Amino acid sequence: MNTETAPLESRDWTRRDALKGIGATLGVAAFAKALAPLTEWTQDLSVDQFLQKHYKELSPMDLAIVLARLEKETKEQYGADVSIKDYKAQPGVKFGYALNLSICIGCRKCAEACHIENNHDRPSAQSYIRVFEMQKGSLDMEKGNAHYDHPVPQKDKFYMPVQCHHCDHPPCVSVCPVEATWKEPDGIVVVDYNWCIGCRYCEAACPYHARRFNWTKPQIPAEEINPDQSYLSNRIRPQGVMEKCTFCLHRTRNGKLPACLEACPTGARVFGNLLDPNSEIRKVLAEKRVFVLKEELGLKPNFFYFFDV
Amino acid sequence: MIAITTRKIAFVVSCLCFAAVLLAGVRDHVAAPSDAPSQTIISNAPLHPVIIRPGPETPRILTTQTNYAGEIARASCSSCHTTTTPNRNTASSAQLLKFHQGMTYAHGNQSCLNCHNETDYDSLRLANGSSLPYADVMKLCGQCHGPQLRDYEMGLHGGMNGYWDRTRGPRTRNNCVDCHDPHNPAYPVVQPVLPPKDRIAVPRKSEHGSVKLCEKTAASICNVLSSLHPTLFA
Amino acid sequence: MNTVTAEPLPRPTAAESVRSHWRHYPRFLMRLVWEAFDGNWKFYVWMTFLTCVALVGANAWATQVRDGMGLTHMSDHVSWGLYIANFTFLVGLAAGGVMMVIPAYIYHDEEMHKIVIIGELLAIASIVMCLLFVVADLGRPDRFWHLLPGLGRFNFPFSMLTWDVIVLNGYLILNLHICGYLLYMRFRGKSPNRKWYIPFVFISIVWAISIHTVTAFLYCGLGGRPFWNTALLAPRFLASAFVSGPAFIIVAIYAIRAAIGGNFGAGAVKTLLNIMRITILINLLMVISEVFTEFYTGGSHTSSARYLYFGLHGYNALVPWIWSSIGMVILAAAILLCPKVLDRPVMLIAACVLAFAGIWIEKGMGLIIPGFIPSTLHELVEYQPSLLEWKVTAGIWAAGLGIYTIALKVAINVFKVQRSETDV
Repeated sequence: MNTETAPLESRDWTRRDALKGIGATLGVAAFAKALAPLTEWTQDLSVDQFLQKHYKELSPMDLAIVLARLEKETKEQYGADVSIKDYKAQPGVKFGYALNLSICIGCRKCAEACHIENNHDRPSAQSYIRVFEMQKGSLDMEKGNAHYDHPVPQKDKFYMPVQCHHCDHPPCVSVCPVEATWKEPDGIVVVDYNWCIGCRYCEAACPYHARRFNWTKPQIPAEEINPDQSYLSNRIRPQGVMEKCTFCLHRTRNGKLPACLEACPTGARVFGNLLDPNSEIRKVLAEKRVFVLKEELGLKPNFFYFFDV
Repeated sequence: MIAITTRKIAFVVSCLCFAAVLLAGVRDHVAAPSDAPSQTIISNAPLHPVIIRPGPETPRILTTQTNYAGEIARASCSSCHTTTTPNRNTASSAQLLKFHQGMTYAHGNQSCLNCHNETDYDSLRLANGSSLPYADVMKLCGQCHGPQLRDYEMGLHGGMNGYWDRTRGPRTRNNCVDCHDPHNPAYPVVQPVLPPKDRIAVPRKSEHGSVKLCEKTAASICNVLSSLHPTLFA
Repeated sequence: MNTVTAEPLPRPTAAESVRSHWRHYPRFLMRLVWEAFDGNWKFYVWMTFLTCVALVGANAWATQVRDGMGLTHMSDHVSWGLYIANFTFLVGLAAGGVMMVIPAYIYHDEEMHKIVIIGELLAIASIVMCLLFVVADLGRPDRFWHLLPGLGRFNFPFSMLTWDVIVLNGYLILNLHICGYLLYMRFRGKSPNRKWYIPFVFISIVWAISIHTVTAFLYCGLGGRPFWNTALLAPRFLASAFVSGPAFIIVAIYAIRAAIGGNFGAGAVKTLLNIMRITILINLLMVISEVFTEFYTGGSHTSSARYLYFGLHGYNALVPWIWSSIGMVILAAAILLCPKVLDRPVMLIAACVLAFAGIWIEKGMGLIIPGFIPSTLHELVEYQPSLLEWKVTAGIWAAGLGIYTIALKVAINVFKVQRSETDV
């Protein structure tokens, strides 16, 4: 107990100490300067936003406050008057989607409709749908190309749009460390954009390239903003969080068809309630030879493909 | 000391076993809500209608004359066709010396009169010889295109708009001829929209290995957007 | 650590003991801070350099947080890049320190035991760097609290990332406790009580294996990415960790020797070299097994490997990386296997640096990045880190090296009973 060496208080202050003091001060100043961009960043953030609870923990009152705040933020940051609602899953509904590969011509109108409906970042031409031009006679994605830029359809090709498959065993949900993404009772896999920490593990886990990250703050002119928004779907996402296809839940939970289906000029898309035996989607499953992508992964997608012939 | 370590090891091992069991149940746990679907609710609410977009009106040809109101007079098909003799062998406008010039015809090896009614040119003709108003053209198409008609009736063919849930709202469906030109029914070749970008402003190798820049300009996007038609069948 | 034995003192009562800790522990911390800011000119130059690099990194990171991760060259296709690559490598480095702990505590290698704290401190510095890299990779670092059990929603045990958070922080705490306890006891001139650190040392040995295994499980559990979806991943991670860890420690020992002179850690270097001779061969064997399986089987599941080693459809950004890595590791193995390498420190250090750099590439640009190329839908979008990513990475390494330098200096000075003015 008494062999301690060099007790601090017993030393005299020297020039060396003064220099050290100056050095330390300079260091702290440099550190503050280096981190200055953080100050600018926090100007767009509010304490309420920072402290906001997880979606599932919000009481109806909390939620109303959050929605009002988000509308206000959209007005401040984007200059648009929007309405942000929260639509809940309907009982007795589980959504399914099917796509007729014989009919799709690869015009990418669906991707464009998604871009507009879901208030995607304009400069990056973001969309939840990626359309692949595939070689006829092969389902090998390696022969696919999403960057085709010639009139479609080409004779020896078929076209395969890919979006979120809303799997029954979604790996993206299992891997999320903070439960920021989950599967809703109607089968839709959603993200709480105000809870996601942006680690992108879900993006690595998804085998369908269905998830997108907001690499920057989305840019979108006020007049192009779709004002009918909902918390879990198409409200303008914050920077640095994941987003994904929600089957347009702000539309589909109100009984409407998703935007990509309405935009499809050829009627290649079929959407409906898998639990309703009379629904169109059930008829596809009953009448057509249906397949899912990467079935061997065992993820049980709710997005089906079929050929007419 | 040894006793403590043994107990600790036992604890760690049991923790790991517990975790393994939990993990084994991960997938089923995650999927629980969808694997056990709640009861199917078959609603007895009245269904909103499915509106099929109307077929074409009976065609009228623009003439060079004007009527009493000063409008361009329009003539029915039968105005001319009652004065000519029908020719069963005509299979394309290319075979005609005048009239119907420049019309693209690519709909199999058929005679005009397979579909047009030689006894009443203001209506169509079914295979059994009976007359059919233009507005009911789907019936005519369905004679040959059975699988498409079957799919259409199941809601699996043709574009639509409105509500998937008809207890909540109506649905509008396309007519055959909204998408298919009866004389040239193959869906037209179009230029695709909204080319995807892999990243913002990052050089991307093109298919041929050269490097091109994915331009960041918002202008290109604006062009795409302004060229958008709000209509369904743009 | 048990080289000095204190005189048997009358056992203090519990209350007295607590009171004395209240008095001594703050003084101990003061001493640590003092040591951190005091040294000769070499120390100041080195620390100033590291601080400058760290500040550049901090500034780059702050800019990235403000303007978004679009400033990196990551994309929706290659959604993890240099940060996670470094993270993975550093978990291995942290686990590699255990290669000192095992001989020291299980096989009672006295030479190793004297300097085992070098490995334990390396674990601390590496884990700190790991955590910094994870924070740098987050799109929303302000929401870090969502990960805290109790406050946020911790998706345990479903998400392997939550396991990783637990094992990494657990390992950090274990090593902080072991090092902190031993240093504090030495500071007070007391003999450490085995009860207070030996059990933790044994836990830390198992824990070291677990941190790298869990980190491998992060990747190999993803069925959608066949390049990672191999049972060999965790063993491969461990084998390469047990190359890079000892390699770094050998270089560190020589650096300390250069600073304080003497024949510091000669016995330990020999043991570590022998360990590396085995692990580097195991690592190479595993790489060869992996390469064989990929290329002999063929098919679209092996396109990542084809892209990595030979390029695919004209895309070949990673080919130079991986072949440099393989070349470095093979060369390092050849040098290390030479019987006389111990007598030639320059060769030994060169081999260690080669092995270290080779493994760094193999685990980062050679393992994390190709997992994303081609993407799950077989699109080829390449990735080369942006300048900003290099700045942040350099900054975090500088911060980590700074922490390690200070920790080593503190440890060496506190451990020396006689302290001279020429100490580093």
